[in-house]
Amino acid sequence: MTESFDKQIRDKARELLKSGDFACVMGYERATDGKTARPLFAYTPEEVERFVFDQYCTHNLARYIINWRDNKKSVGIVAKPCDTRAINLLINEKQIDRSKLYVIGVACQGIMEAGWGAPTEKLQLRCNTCSEPNPVLHDLLVGEFKPEAAGAAKPYADVAAMEGKSAEERDGFWQEQFSRCIRCYACRQSCVGCYCQECFVDELDPLWVGIKVAPAENAVWHTIRAFHLAGRCISCNECERVCPVDIPLSLLNRKLEKDGLDLFQFQAGMDASVTPPFATFKKGEKLGTGD
Amino acid sequence: MAVGEFEPKIAGFLCNWCSYAGADLAGTSRMSYPPNIRIIRVPCSGRVDPLFVVKTFQQGADGVLVAGCHLGDCHYNEGNFYSRRRFALLAPFLDYLGIQKERFRLEWVSASEGRKFSDVVTSFTNDLKKLGPRNVLSSGGRG
Repeated sequence: MTESFDKQIRDKARELLKSGDFACVMGYERATDGKTARPLFAYTPEEVERFVFDQYCTHNLARYIINWRDNKKSVGIVAKPCDTRAINLLINEKQIDRSKLYVIGVACQGIMEAGWGAPTEKLQLRCNTCSEPNPVLHDLLVGEFKPEAAGAAKPYADVAAMEGKSAEERDGFWQEQFSRCIRCYACRQSCVGCYCQECFVDELDPLWVGIKVAPAENAVWHTIRAFHLAGRCISCNECERVCPVDIPLSLLNRKLEKDGLDLFQFQAGMDASVTPPFATFKKGEKLGTGD
Repeated sequence: MAVGEFEPKIAGFLCNWCSYAGADLAGTSRMSYPPNIRIIRVPCSGRVDPLFVVKTFQQGADGVLVAGCHLGDCHYNEGNFYSRRRFALLAPFLDYLGIQKERFRLEWVSASEGRKFSDVVTSFTNDLKKLGPRNVLSSGGRG
């Protein structure tokens, strides 16, 4: 599969860049360890020969589209199904112009875990809990659409297990997790949804999150980081992958996704034309709080 | 009030148009309710950012009350509908993080419901006394 995937991506990227209407095509190339993949930003037709796609292309490149927001030219992107959901999120929030974007959607086989020079054969958590294995939007589809593909059987099993614990256990668990945070904000920097010009955590007056890296301050940061992505997180799980101290951020994000589905029947990024849950309401709805 | 008994600290975000006036009515009507609540006046329950609630808990509150106009009676027509959606998601999320859902309340109190306001504060305080103090992380000031 990989050979023809590479060729299709290269051919399309070359065509786009030769047309002169495109500033850049984003995709993946082989990393210098020779095994895993890293992002490639191709600006000239010559560079497209380096494009590859395999099960180690983990990055969510939709994060970078916004950098070309004010550019007159279009951009092309190689996008996995979860990345296409991220693109839908940005379109829904009117951050990017669909007409200036060319999406090379890739039918995803799942992405493997990998360290530097150490690819494994183990699927990532996000792929085991994936609810949409087909690209939700694309201009060119690379690979086969999976018509009968259903999502994972129990995408929220770990979230439900956490809900089943006592309040003391949960409190202790999260305090321990948050106490390890060094507040590098890699989770924010890798996130497609975190495009605010000024993040609440950077504000100094009011000082919402204290400058000191202390457990209580970290707890505010993680609670609000997750909540600002409620109804917006598309479960690419890049935040957890880049976390240097391995805080299980997907347990926070997917709790909110699960409750969002239960309360509002909404999942982010599936359809750019659907109003997100916090931008609308229904008068007679029963939500369990304030009814 | 017995000496040494746990006295919970409650932060109350009350909307200017209904609940704050309801609290005022409870006072002018000489109704008594526990002094554990610290009232913060906000323009609308829709003004209450979930960040306020999280920050209040971090600063050591044992409970947080958000109160606004009854649904359909909002001074800004629909502010409380938006706030209800937000807190319907926040309350179970806080519970998930170890802040029990009994510690957060979203109530609708109109300007004429001084009695209801005093009842809400009384029952909330009693619930929090049963729950006991929260296991608050020491933050160490502005850092």
